[in-house]
Parts: sequence; structure tokens; C-alpha cells
Amino acid sequence: MAELQLKSVEKTYGSGFKAVHGIDLTVQEGEFMVLVGPSGCAKSTTLRMIAGLETITGGEIRIGDRIVNDIVPGKRGIAMVFQNYALYPHMKVRNNLSFGLRLKGRPKPEIESATGDVSRVLEIEQLLERLPKQLSGGQAQRVAVGRALIKQPEVFLFDEPLSNLDAKLRAAMRVRITDLHKKLKAEGRPATVVYVTHDQVEAMTMGDRICVMREGHIMQVADPTTLYERPANAFVAGFIGMPEMNLLDALLIMEGETPYLTVGEQTIRVDEGLSERLTTGSGPVKLGIRPQHVEILPEGTDNTLSGTVTNVEFLGHEINLHLSVGAEAFVAVVPGDRLASVPGRGKTVALRPAGSRIHLFDRQTEQNISLG
Amino acid sequence: MTASFDLNPRRLVEPGEPATAMEIKLRRRSRLSSGIRYGVLLVFGLIMLYPLIWLIGASFKTNAEIFASPSFWPENPTLSGYIKGWETSTPYTFGRFFWNTFLIITPKVIGTAISCTLVAYGFARFDFPGKKILFATVIATLLLPNVVTRIPQYLLFRDIGWLDSFLPLWVPSAVAGDAFFVFMLIQFLRAIPRDMEEAARVDGANTLQTLVYIVVPLLMPAIISVCLFQFMWTMNDFLGPLIYISSVEKYPVSLALKLSIDTTEAFDWNQILAMSVLALAPSLAVFFLAQKYFIEGISTGGVKG
Amino acid sequence: MGGDSKYLGYLYVAPYVAGLLLFTAFPFAASFYLSFTDYDLLSTPKWTGLDNYTKLFTRDRTFDRSLTVTLLYVFMTVPVKLAFALLVAVILNYRLKAINFFRTAYYVPSILGGSIAIAVLWRYIFAEAGLVNMIIGIFGLEPVNWFGDPSNALITITLLRCWQFGSAMVIFLAALQSVDKSLYEAASIDGANQWHLFRYITLPLITPVIFFNLIMQTVQAFQEFNGPYIITQGGPLKSTYLLPLYIYDKAFKSFDMGYASAIAWVLFAIIMVLTLIAFWSSKKWVYYAGDKRS
Repeated sequence: MAELQLKSVEKTYGSGFKAVHGIDLTVQEGEFMVLVGPSGCAKSTTLRMIAGLETITGGEIRIGDRIVNDIVPGKRGIAMVFQNYALYPHMKVRNNLSFGLRLKGRPKPEIESATGDVSRVLEIEQLLERLPKQLSGGQAQRVAVGRALIKQPEVFLFDEPLSNLDAKLRAAMRVRITDLHKKLKAEGRPATVVYVTHDQVEAMTMGDRICVMREGHIMQVADPTTLYERPANAFVAGFIGMPEMNLLDALLIMEGETPYLTVGEQTIRVDEGLSERLTTGSGPVKLGIRPQHVEILPEGTDNTLSGTVTNVEFLGHEINLHLSVGAEAFVAVVPGDRLASVPGRGKTVALRPAGSRIHLFDRQTEQNISLG
Repeated sequence: MTASFDLNPRRLVEPGEPATAMEIKLRRRSRLSSGIRYGVLLVFGLIMLYPLIWLIGASFKTNAEIFASPSFWPENPTLSGYIKGWETSTPYTFGRFFWNTFLIITPKVIGTAISCTLVAYGFARFDFPGKKILFATVIATLLLPNVVTRIPQYLLFRDIGWLDSFLPLWVPSAVAGDAFFVFMLIQFLRAIPRDMEEAARVDGANTLQTLVYIVVPLLMPAIISVCLFQFMWTMNDFLGPLIYISSVEKYPVSLALKLSIDTTEAFDWNQILAMSVLALAPSLAVFFLAQKYFIEGISTGGVKG
Repeated sequence: MGGDSKYLGYLYVAPYVAGLLLFTAFPFAASFYLSFTDYDLLSTPKWTGLDNYTKLFTRDRTFDRSLTVTLLYVFMTVPVKLAFALLVAVILNYRLKAINFFRTAYYVPSILGGSIAIAVLWRYIFAEAGLVNMIIGIFGLEPVNWFGDPSNALITITLLRCWQFGSAMVIFLAALQSVDKSLYEAASIDGANQWHLFRYITLPLITPVIFFNLIMQTVQAFQEFNGPYIITQGGPLKSTYLLPLYIYDKAFKSFDMGYASAIAWVLFAIIMVLTLIAFWSSKKWVYYAGDKRS
């Protein structure tokens, strides 16, 4: 197992298009690092540069104590699980697993026992004599993981491995992968993992740390809790968390030590320690508040924002209340058992965002100015 | 002149319901249409194939009978055409001529398969300076009438002493000289996703191992098509041997047949026809055994090209 | 990929490059040079400038005849062959059960047709007392003098080439079958009849394939050798003396290599001009559905 280091890594294509803009990242030994972001953010490109499937046009990548820029994929000490599994269709599962070892000329008994071990761990022993086309999606996925596992690499790479599976299978495989990671750690063989996904639920539930990417830049690298509670910028704040954090254009006006926020025509005063967290003074901002952190109060209550109900989504355990605040869309989440008291479409409600949960982002730079 | 979908009248009727006049009319029209098509295809097909049918039948006839009637069925079937034809009027039997053809075809087909696969792999999976220009030459050679290169090629082979040998007939193909096959393999390769090759590289394979263990098995149907086409074309090749082979003992089947027209007495047609059947037999056999590879190959080359 | 030399690709295309230079590029240039010389294989080539070409265009009656006959042959066979190929493909493109059988039956002539065996067969069946005349006799008509009469001989080799329409047909069939069925359904709903469907949907969508076949067939037709050589030896009275035969005779019978090269280049120029015209005109009538030029 080894540490993975990316220093100022860049990728510029022949056409001149710069996909990755000088990123720096360190993945600790045994850490499960998730690269997440919307499509086009270059997370897969970055992964493929680590693997050696794309050439690195700037910066350096280090695995352990070696710089691997000019080393072929097969000799970097990595293993990869592909989105479409990429199993060799003309070989039985057994031979798919052992292909790498056979190429190296390892002795037969060693190959046999390694194949046996891996297939036991992934519960694919009964599939060894089958061809890939005879496998279900989940089975093929496990074989792909097995092919990576058997190599005992220094770094494991996963390229959106679950996106071709149905929701139920995805949930089951998520657990299987993280269990495997914990198991290896417990056995004293911690696995360094880089896992790419566009699904923030996968990211939040699987990663030790998460690297949020956007258009070839890193937006923030942190553990799930930090990302959720202390997003460094508006992008991360909006990307992590379901439903998305509300981001409203607002004006921050400091009157002495008291912050006032003007949204459209309305102004509220925010207490609960917001002023202690602020790192700048008055100015145009984006007001960020998660739907779960908004209080619905009786109409006319003092120091509230006013919104009009546009839609009510009943999900059973909770209710998504869609509103229009000023001209902007807004969502508040309300416990499911309060359905009766929720006002219908067209009605006006009073909202108060919880002061301790408000995030303010500089309108220009999108950076979080309320982290204190 | 019809589209390939048709309204299936059967589906318009709920089971149990009596057919309406409309459905009956559609059904009848559909059957009529099929009937006409079958009829035309059958009649025309028979006219097309009759020369071949006649050829096979006539090879078993006596000479007198050949000129007696247009029917293909031999009244008094005989093998004399085959036996005498096999002997030929040269010191060699047709066995020798078939052997010569074999000596040309074998290295040519094997050489073509290997070299065209390597070259197609190079074009389809790698980027290198000048690749676009080089690929343009593949297309250009595809369309190039080789009448222009034939004479200097002859002079070249003369200068290196390859005249009257089989070498000029297969060596150019063994260095991917047939652009058609290179092009066809490139088109097939483009349709194969690269994932598995990437997985193989990650597994530690170098580019050659990836080609041999992963790409070739996936490309096999196309490679077989290439071999089959090359086999057929070489069996039919006449001008090549005509220019380069001068000793009768080295004649392949195509030259030997020409020889038999020149030297055989005008009324020994059944011998000539018998040997013609034998000359066609390998091609026909190979074709029927591997039909689908032919159709696949030519369709991909023509439609997706 | 990372770590691969950027010249790795060269290794794989190396055999092709070597062959290209040695067997294609060099001969191509050499034949151009030779066309301006007088070369009889015994002494070195003697530069004669434009002599070969001037003789060719002004004093060579055989060339005039050969050129005429060749053009006639090409302009007869190519349209007829393509028309049959398309027609049969259209008829076959129906949910018939025996489609594979028919497709094979029509394809077989084209795999055998270029062979000497078939050319020999053709020589027989069009002979004075041969099969064709016998069948004509059954219908009560006079036997035709196929090989003795200059106006008939060309027809025999034309028929031979057209007989081999199977390969073009298979390509057309594949193209027809790749047309999206839902287009026909939508057009039918819009009120199109069978002819409309063919004219406005089928035909435009297969123009790339028509174009491909047109080019390939034309280039091949200009280079026809086996048929005329075996069946008619270019006669009678040079009525089937196609240019490739003339080139062959000049090069390998008379050993007049320089002159033969000049004829070859004229033939090449004609083919190139026609091909270019086809390419240029293709912009007007060929419709590419998702252009994916790489």
C-alpha cells in the first residue's frame, strides 16, 4: 500500500483544450478518497492520468516514492475497476482474474491459490468457469473488483463502477466495497483507494475524504462532515446534500456587530452567532441555508422572510415544500407528520433560516465568508 | 420498390373476431406481394445460376452430348472428362497445378492476415506524427488502379531475380500491400471499445501482448473474412501469374486452364469443363462453409466504409 | 498511454510503409518516368520526351479503337450492373423467409465470375453451337454469331461482368436493411405510398453506398482483363480490345515498355478524372446522415 501524490497535475489535449488545471492532492496510505463532481469536471481524466491511460502534460504523480509519469500502466502498481467492467469476453472468469499473474509468469500453484482467495472474498467461486456474457451486472462487477484485488496493488482505482447497476444493486455493492476496504484494513493490508463518481450519495457514504471537482479544478478536499457543515465555497455547498442547499442573492449589511440580510425587498436580522463567524464586512453575498435548517412560522411573525408556496412534495418521512422567495426558488424540508398544517399552493408562509446554520458566500468569489 | 416493413394484417384482428374486409384485403395484398417477389427472384435466380448448373452437369457428359442439347442433365454420365482432363497434355497432371496454387495461396493468406492485423492495429489504436497522411495513402491506394504500377513492379522483380517464381505473387500482400484488407480491419477495430485493452495494459500487458491476447480474439471474425476474400481473389488471379510465371511446371490452376484451351483439341470440351469445375470447387466449398463471414465482411467494408 | 513511446505506432505500420514505398510509391513514380522514354528491356531507357503521347493521340488507330471500346464497355456495364444490384436488393429487402438463400444464389456468380474457369465457360456457351444459341433455337430464333461479329462480341463480355452483380447487391442489401424502419412508418402516416417511400426515404439514405459502389465498379471495370483475354482475345477486329489488353500486349509481347507506360497513364488519368467528377458531383446528391469524418 502506498501514498498517492498529485503535484500541479495538468492535462492539455492536442487541440489546445485544457481539461485539468494544475491540481494538488495527497491520498494517504490506506485512505478511501472519492473524486466527485458533475460531468465534465475531469474526475475521470484525473483518474486515468493516475492509471497511465492518459498522458500527463504537466506536473507529476507519485505513487509511494516513485514518480510514475513515464511509467506504463502495467508497472505503476495500480489496479483499476472500469465503469463497463471491461472483462475479457473470450476468457472464463477464472482466466480473467489470473490474466495479470499469468503474464508475469507466476507459478501455477500461486495463481491457483490467489484466484481461490479472491473468489472466496467476493463470493464468486461458483462463477469461475463461466464466460462474462453469462454473468449478471452485479456478478460482472464483482469479477472486475476481483481482477483488481488479485494484483495486490499499491493503489486501487475505481471509475464510476456502480453507474451501470440498478438502484438496489448499487446500494448493496456500495456496502460490499466499503466492507472490503475495512476488512483489508483490519487484516493489516490497508488499501489506498481513489474512487470516481458523479453521485454525491456514494461519495458521502463511502469516502474517508472527498475531493469535489469542477471543470478541472479542485473545489474542496475534506471528510464528509466537514464538507457538509463547512463548505468552502458555494459550489461545494450546493453540490453536497439533498435536497440542495438554497442559495439566494442577498445583501449583507453590518450595523455595528449585527448582521442584516436583505433578500429582494425583505430584510431580516440574523443572530445566533453569525457575526462571530464572518470574515468580511458588508457587501453582496449569496445566502446559503439547507432546506432542513429553515423554520416555518405563522404568517406575520416578526423577523422572517416571506415566501409563496409553489409545490408540496410528500415523501412519507418528510415533505419538500417548494416556495418562491422574492423571485427565487426555495425549498424547505418539513417532517412528514406535519402534512396537515402545511399551507397549500399559492399561500404565503413565514420562513426563518437558523442563524447558526447560515452560510454566506461572497457573490464574486463564491468563497465562504462565514466559517469563522 | 417497397419498404421493408409491412402491415401485418393478422395483428389487426382480435382473436376470435371475424376478419373485416379491410383485413382480408391487406392480407391478400401482402401474400400477393410476397408471391410476386418469390416468383421473380426464383425465375431470375434460375437464369443466373443456370450456367453454373449446366457447367457441373456438362462436365459429366461426353463431348457429343455437350453439343446436343441445352439440358444440364447427362444422359450417359461419364468421368472421362475428369480423368483425361486431369492428365492434361503436358508432362504434369492437374495435381501439380493445384499444388502450385497452394504454394502461392498459403503464404499469401497467412502473410496478409498477420501484416494487415498489425498495420490496422497501428492505425486504429495509436497516434503518431504523420498518421493522417499515412492513412490518406491507404485510402488512395484503395482507389488506385494498379495498371499504373504493374510494369515497374515487373521491372523491379526482374532486377531482384524473382521472375518465374511465386515470390512476386505473395510478398507484396505479406507486407499489408492490399489496402482493402487494412481498411476493412481498421473499420472493424473502430467498432470495438478500448476498455478491454486498457484493462489489459493495467494488468501488465505490453501493446503486443494486448494485441495477441485481447484484440485478435475479438477481431477474429474480421480476420477470417480477410483470409476468405484473399483466398478467393488469389484463386481467381490470372494476370499476376501470367506476367511472372513462365515455366509450365510452376503454373497455378488459372494458367493451367488457359493452357488447356490453347492445347486441347477443339472437341475435347468436356475435359476443359471438368477441370473448370475442379478449379472452382475450392472457392465454392470455402464460400459455402463460411458464408456469413463473407457477407459480414463485404457489408462492413461497403456500408460502414 | 503513459510511458509509451509516441513512436510506438510506427512499429506496427512499418511493414505497410516499407511495402508502400517499394511496391507502390516507387513503381508509381517510375511508370510516370517510363512513359516519357523508349525502353525495350535490353538497353537502358532512352528519354524521348512527349513522343509516346503524341504518337498515342495522333497516329495510333489501335489506341483510338481500344479507347472507344473501353469507354463503351464501362458505360454499359456499370449502370446496368448497379441497376440490377439495386433492383434485386430492393426486391430481396422484404421479410421473406428465404432471403439468405436468394442472397447466396445471387452472390455466387460474383465470387466465381472473375476466374478463368468461368471465362472458359463463357467461351463455350456463346460459341456458334453453344448453350446460348441452343436455347435461342428453342424459341425459334436464328443462332447469333457471337464471336465472329464485331458488334456482338462486346455484349458477351458485358454480360459476363453484369452477371457478377451479386457483390454490389449484397452491399446494397446491407444498406437497405440499415435504414431505420420508423422513418417508413412515420412517412406512411404522413400519407406516402410505396413509390414515395422509395424515392424520398430509401434512395436518399443509401446514396453514400450508391456512391461507393459507383466508384468501386467504375475503377474495376476500366481494368477488366481476364474476360476479354480468354474469351475473345480482344477480337474480332479489336471490338473487345480493352485498354488493359493493349497495355499488356505492348508491355509483355512487344516489350515496348515506355509506350505501354504511356497508355497506362492515359488510362489512369481517365479513371482519375471520372473519379474526381464523381466526388465533386457527390456533394450535390450524396446525403450523409451523421457525418463522422475522423
